[in-house]
This record gives sequence, structure tokens and C-alpha cells, in this order.
Amino acid sequence: MTRTIAALGVALIGTTAWAPSAPRATLAGSVTGTITFTGTPPKMKPIDMAKEPSCAKQHATPIETETVVTGPNNALQYVVVYVSAGDQGSETPTTPVHLEQKGCQYIPHVVVMHAGQSLEIANNDQTSHNIHPLPTKNPEWNKSQPPGSPPIVTKYDNPDFIPVKCNVHPWMHGYHIVLATSHFGLSGNDGTYTITGLPPGKYTLTAWHEKFGTMTQDVTVGAQPTKADFQFKATPY
Amino acid sequence: MLLTTGILGAILTANVATGTTAFRAYTASLNATAHKSKSIPAFARKYGLRCSACHTAWPELNAFGQAFRDNGYQLGNDRDSPIFKDASYLPIALRITPQWHEESTTNQTVDAVPGDSSVKVARRLTTHGFDLSGMDFWTAGTLYKNISFVLLFSSDPFASFHFESAFIRFDNLANSPWLNVKVGKFELDNLISEKRFLFLSNNGGVYQSYHFVPVGDNTGFGIGDNQLGMELQGHNKTSYTRYSASILSSNDGTPGTPTGNSYDAFFTFSQGFQAGALGVERIGAYWYLGQQSSLYRTSGGAPIAGSGVDNKSYYRVGLAGDLYAGPIEFMPFYMHARDDPYLGTSTPGNQALPTGAIGPQWNAEFLETHEYLNSRFVLLQRAEIVRMSQQALPGTPTSLGDIDAYSFGGRWMPFMFSRAGLAFHAEYSLTRTVGNVPISGDGVGLPPLNPTASVWSSSLLFAFDFAF
Amino acid sequence: MRLVYISLLVSAVAASSATQAQPSIMGGAREDFRRYCAGCHGNAGDGQGENADWIDPKPRDFTLATFKCRSTPSGTLPTDDDLYNTVRRGLVNSNMPSWRPLADDQLHSLVEYIKTFSPRWKTEKPGTPITVPPEIPVTADDILAGRALFQKMECWKCHGPEGRGNGPSASTLTDSKDQPIKPFNFAASSRFKCGTTNQDLYKIFLTGLDGTPMPSFADNFHGDDAWHLVHFLRTLQQAESPEKVVWEQWASTHQGQLKPIGPDGGGQ
Repeated sequence: MTRTIAALGVALIGTTAWAPSAPRATLAGSVTGTITFTGTPPKMKPIDMAKEPSCAKQHATPIETETVVTGPNNALQYVVVYVSAGDQGSETPTTPVHLEQKGCQYIPHVVVMHAGQSLEIANNDQTSHNIHPLPTKNPEWNKSQPPGSPPIVTKYDNPDFIPVKCNVHPWMHGYHIVLATSHFGLSGNDGTYTITGLPPGKYTLTAWHEKFGTMTQDVTVGAQPTKADFQFKATPY
Repeated sequence: MLLTTGILGAILTANVATGTTAFRAYTASLNATAHKSKSIPAFARKYGLRCSACHTAWPELNAFGQAFRDNGYQLGNDRDSPIFKDASYLPIALRITPQWHEESTTNQTVDAVPGDSSVKVARRLTTHGFDLSGMDFWTAGTLYKNISFVLLFSSDPFASFHFESAFIRFDNLANSPWLNVKVGKFELDNLISEKRFLFLSNNGGVYQSYHFVPVGDNTGFGIGDNQLGMELQGHNKTSYTRYSASILSSNDGTPGTPTGNSYDAFFTFSQGFQAGALGVERIGAYWYLGQQSSLYRTSGGAPIAGSGVDNKSYYRVGLAGDLYAGPIEFMPFYMHARDDPYLGTSTPGNQALPTGAIGPQWNAEFLETHEYLNSRFVLLQRAEIVRMSQQALPGTPTSLGDIDAYSFGGRWMPFMFSRAGLAFHAEYSLTRTVGNVPISGDGVGLPPLNPTASVWSSSLLFAFDFAF
Repeated sequence: MRLVYISLLVSAVAASSATQAQPSIMGGAREDFRRYCAGCHGNAGDGQGENADWIDPKPRDFTLATFKCRSTPSGTLPTDDDLYNTVRRGLVNSNMPSWRPLADDQLHSLVEYIKTFSPRWKTEKPGTPITVPPEIPVTADDILAGRALFQKMECWKCHGPEGRGNGPSASTLTDSKDQPIKPFNFAASSRFKCGTTNQDLYKIFLTGLDGTPMPSFADNFHGDDAWHLVHFLRTLQQAESPEKVVWEQWASTHQGQLKPIGPDGGGQ
């Protein structure tokens, strides 16, 4: 009996002693959380697209600017959460990230990618757009994209937080977030995000919002999914 | 009958032998202009450029500033018209130089006992003290695209004002930089400009060559004096190739048409070329053909202004250069000059020339160097000689009137900015004139007792030269 | 005479001492930059010279290595020749003067000095200059094709239907530093930001004016498209040109046949 127990124990210890390099279970080696805010966020204004009738008619009611997008229960959308310290290094994914221009809007408003990862930008509108990123750590460029032309395929070599605009349609704003890691998540309308594929260990997470700044949190990732919530202070201005 | 020069004023005739009156060997305009300067912070304010963009060391122009000036004070970016500036922008600049200076002159003929004029001796006279320069009140700029103007209102240290420059210029006629017409009172297009040079002391702040007239000669002209007339000027886009042709009234820039109805002509040409790392080199030639009335009609014995007749001619011709070897600038200059015998002996046109009188001739040269240690610090020096090659009257000592002049100094600008300028200026200048009063900015001096004696005059200057 | 010899000697001594202390090209260029450029561009080359507040458009910030007038694709560094040409030619409708009177050596070393303000020059190579093909002959069809492109590429949205810089989006344009900026008014000038020739205009829309709202159309033009547009744009300007002559001749015999450029226009 004791030998069986001992054997089982050795087997148990043996299995737990292995550090899994890939998640064996669906949530192991991951971080998840909810981003919320306290205080009063600024009011978003409706966008007047009268100058571009082909886009205006795509929206039954005018859409609002997306600087601060909130969800139920004070959830905050479009927050990028990423590993800023402790990462063992990551490879550049070979699959491209997609960005769409539709209804004179950037969809999604914030697109996140690994440095060097391919970004494909499509114009699905009946009007020309120009894509004009304003990086600080990458070269600035500006390209015109008439309707019906193929997607612009590009990449950024250096980590950067890049505001992007269309000069023809001044209400169009977006962000291209370029990170040195592939361990990141973007919060949805319910405020939740998930980062997967993390080996167990100690990490520092940084949460970034385009208006409310950054917050950091240290987490320890183990076999069980780790919870890391962030609560931003919202200001009306 | 003595020739009177009427309103030309400061030139008096003198009998060399008696030396009774103090006579000055320079022209009226020099005496009246205690401060000659042409740098204009108003342009720096208009365009947002530092003074050093246009000036090697203000007020001397560099190649960029020369092209700007030639182009009618326009940069040519379609932003030159005054409407592109705030309405509160006024193209006005001011300049004055508080200073301490010492002047010392040898061989001055003074009374042996003050108050008793019976016995005269030669003495060295020295004065020093704190002082002011004259002031420049400068406006210049564009009235419209390709129409520019200058109005320079200058005073002596006693706030007695005159118009040193006042002209309108039609620039780039027929859309060509080769055709520009200027009308008014202006500086002659000398390659080496005396108005925009870097010396300020009484003895050093003039080019002897630009004002010299032999002893006993009453030609009222200096190539450094601003003249009244009309100039056709042209240049290529970089202003490396430049020419000018002017027609000027024969009054040495004195307004009121006080002389006669004659006109002078002046031609210049210069060519610049790039010499690699050394910089831009320029060489030029000039030729002034002048006339002066030798007789005035009189009424009751008094000469009538503007009635000058019986014109006699003179010329000034020579070469000049502006050569760079990196941070060092060399400015060589040569002039050959000749005045008519009537002018050379101050003989009225209706009288006979003295026996054996011929036209006096002389040669003048100088070499000036600037060393630009950086855009705010320049060292200066100049050596100049004037040598009579032919005196007007036989029996005149061959070296009468000869001049040697040497000056050196430095200017340091504590800031280089776009709104105002300040230079700490130090200068020493020494001149030796044979048998005559030295040419100097303050016009003070007495002829020596002995016409072969050398008069040495020195200036020491410490000044704060500022412009706004 | 003695004075002349002494002065020559002193000059020679000064000259020799100066030549020994002759600054290196960089020392010389730094002095030249302070002398000519820093009043607007700032001693640190960041566009923050003491006069920058009063200048519109603002002086270039060299620390970002973003330049308007290039022969290289959008987002890439310009070639040395691009920078030399810009400094030498100046920029029309701006405070940037033409520095043509400066010696070529000075201009080249200033270009080298400008490159020291941004670390990008150490890690990146300049882009590959685009080739400007030989210009095609000017014909009415060629100009009409250019007009169609002006409509299709929606140039009129910023530049306006007549190229007067009064398009629907013109009033909201801002440059990369969020300063208001106006689109080029073809009717007001015969010179372009980056030069005066058709080749210069060709390069502008094939490389874009980086730092401004003007994008690159390099991916959108094919074959002779760009020349058609160049020729059409010349007809919008005041100055006489071969393009205007051809266009006016065609217009006089085809009155009323053109649809206006604009949101409803077919352009043709």
C-alpha cells in the first residue's frame, strides 16, 4: 500500500515538477482580468459625417468618437494589457493583424501587434482614405488608399504607441500598438481581457489606455489562470 | 578771387605756404557722417533669421546677405510682401555706440602761450573721455513685391540729423535679376563697402583711399560718400556675378542741387567663384568718372548756388577683392586717381593755371583682414597707404599728403539673435600723414608747421555698439 | 611702407595660426548651423529656435528625420542629394530661404550635420529613390485623363475642384505636429513646395510630403497616370505653360462637355 501511495506521490510530484512549456489545460499559464474605471469619464461627441455622404448613410445614428469607450458596470474598452517585464522573449507571429476602414471608422479602434508583425489595412469604403500614422520610434509615413485598391501591407520594426489618423476625414482616429512581446490582450466592451501562453513565473503587466494613461501590476503566473484587474481613474476632461 | 564752393561748406581752400586756415583733406559727407553703419535687425525680425545669417559680423554682409540685398531685400519665397507680416511689424532699426576713446595727434600747430598768437609751436594734442557716436535710424524693406526702399536717417553725436540714404528700387524688372533700378541717395556699389565695415574709431573708421584728396585740391568727392543719382544694377541668382552702372549728380550727395548741372558716371563689375572648402572668392573692378564745376556765377560777389559752370573732370579707377580662406577674409584694394589741374590747384575756371600746374595723380592701396573665430567673434586689421605719384605744382615736396594707416581691433558679440545686436568693440588705429591734417571721422586737426613734417594720429577705442 | 610689411606679416601669422586651428568639417558645419539655421531650427535641431513661435509653417524638426521633399518613398529617409537640393532651393511659401549663395562645400557639410540630430540615420539607410520616367507628350487626352484621376483619387477633397486649396476637408487639415496647415493652392503659384519643374511635381505625389497630410500615391498610380495628373495640374496654375495652351485650345472647342469635379461630378 505504501509503495502504491509512494508511487502515486512520485508520479504526482513528477508531473507537477515539469514546467509545462505550452498550456496543457485551456486556462493554464494565462492571465485574465477586467478593466473598469472610477469617476466620471468625458462625454463622447457624435461625429458629423456630412462631408462624406457615402459614410454618413452607413450609420443610422451618428457614431461617437472612440477616445473613451465604456461598457456595462463601468467597463473600459480598448485597454491594452501586456507583459512589460519578466518575459522570456517571444517570436514575431507570422499571421498578419487586420485593420479595416469601414463607415469612415477604424475597425478596431485599437489594433495591437508584435514588432515586425505584418499589418494589413483594408479600405472597405466607397471613398479614399489616407493612412497617416504618427509614430515616435518608427518612421512616419502617409499613403493614399482609394476604394477598391488592395490592402496596404506594412509593419513596424520598433515597439511604439502610434496614433493614426486620416487627413481627409479628420474624425478618424485610431491607434497602432506595437509591442516587443506577443503576450498581450485588448479589453472588449465588457472590460475583460485575456493573455495566454505565459510560462509560469513572475511578470509585470502594464495596462495602457489612450486617455487615462498606464498602470502596472505584478503577477505570478502558475498552473491556474491568474486574475489581474485594473481600475483606471477617469476624469471628465 | 578765391573759388568759393558755396554750400559744399566744409571744404575750404588754403594756401599751402601760409597754412592760415585749418583745412581738411576729406569731403563734406564724411564730416557729417559720424556713424556709418548698415545692419538692420528689422530684417532679422521680419524673417526670423539670426543676424549672422546675412552678416559675417554685422554690419558686413556675407554671400547670403549680399544676394538678399541685391534681390531688393527679398528672400524670394513669395512671402516678402509686407502683408505677410503682422501689421505691427515696422521695418525700423536703430543703432548707436556709447564709448570711451582717446585721440592723440602729433605736430599740431598751437600757440606757444595760450591766448598769444604771435609764436607758434608744434605740440602733441591728446584728448580722451567717454563719448557717444552718431545714431542711425534705419528703415528699409519692401513696399510691394519687387519694389524696395531704404530711408536712413543718421545723426552725428550732437543729434544733428541728415539723410544718409534714401532711395526707391525697382527690383527684378522684366522678371530678371539683371535689371534693377535705384533712384535716390545711396552708397556706390563698391565691392568693399565702407558703410558696412567693421571699424569704428576716428582714425580707423574711414578708408583713407575712399576720401583722400591731395593738399590744395578742392575736389569735393569721395568714393565712400553716398551719392545722389540713379543706378542700374544686375546680378545672377547667387549674386556671384554683379555689375552696376550709375549716373550721379556732381554734388557728392549734397541735396538741394547746390552745384552745377553736370553728372558723373560710375561703373563696377565683380565676379565671385567658389573655391571649395576655402569659400566664395570675389574680384571686382570699378571706374568713377567725375566732373566738378570750377566756377560759380556770383551776385554781388556772392556765389549763386546751383550755378556752377566750367566743369573740370577727375577719375578714380581700380580693383578690389573679397577673398576667403576658410574663417579668414582678405580684402585687397587698389585705386589710381587723377584730378584735373584746375581742381588740383583750386584754380577758378576763369583764371590762369599756376605755372607748371598739372593734374595730380596718386595711388592708394589697402589690405584688410578679418578672422572669424566663430559667428560672434571677429579680429580685424588693416594696413593702408596713399602715395602721391604726381603733385599738382612743381616744387611741392613729392611726399606731401602721403598717408600710412594701420588699424587693428576686435568685435565680440555676447549673443547672436534675431531681435537685436550688441558688440563689444576694441580698436587701435594709427595714421601718418605728411604735411597735412589727417583724414579722420571727427574732422579735428591742424596742419603742421612744416609741410614736410609727418603728423601721427592715433585712436584708441572701447565701445559698446548696439542695434535694435 | 613699413607698416604694410608689418601688416602683411601679422596677417600671415594670423593666417597660419588659424589654419592650424582650422576646425574639422564638423566644427565648421556646427558654426555654420548656428550662424544660418539655428535661429529657426534651434541649436538642437528640434525646430525650437527662438523665432519658431512666429513662423508658420513651423521649422523642420530634424530629430524626427521626417522630410517633405524627397525622391524616396514615404516613410524612408531622403538621400543626401534631396537634402542638399532642399537647402539650396529653399521652400516656397515658407520661411525657409534659398541658401544658394553659400559655397557648395558648406551646403554639403551642413547636410551631414543635419543628419546628426536623429539616431535614425545611424540605423536606417535612405530609401531607394523612385525613377521618374521620361515625360510623355502633352495632349488633350492626356490632360483629360489627368482630370479624371484628380476626380477619382479625390484630390479635390483637400485641394478643391479648381485646385484652389478650398476643398471640403481643407479647413480641418493638421500636420504631424497638430498645427493647422493649408493644402497647396495651384491657382496662386507657379512654383511647388519642392521645386518648379514637372519632374518635381511628379515626385511630390509619388513620395508624399511626409509630415503633412499629403500622402504618397505610389501604390495607386500605374503607367502614365502620374504624368497625366502633372499635366492636368499645370492647367490649374496662373502661369502660361504648354499644358495650358493645349487645354485652352481643347476647352474652346468642347464647351459644356465637362462635368464638374466634386462630390457629384464624374469628372469627365
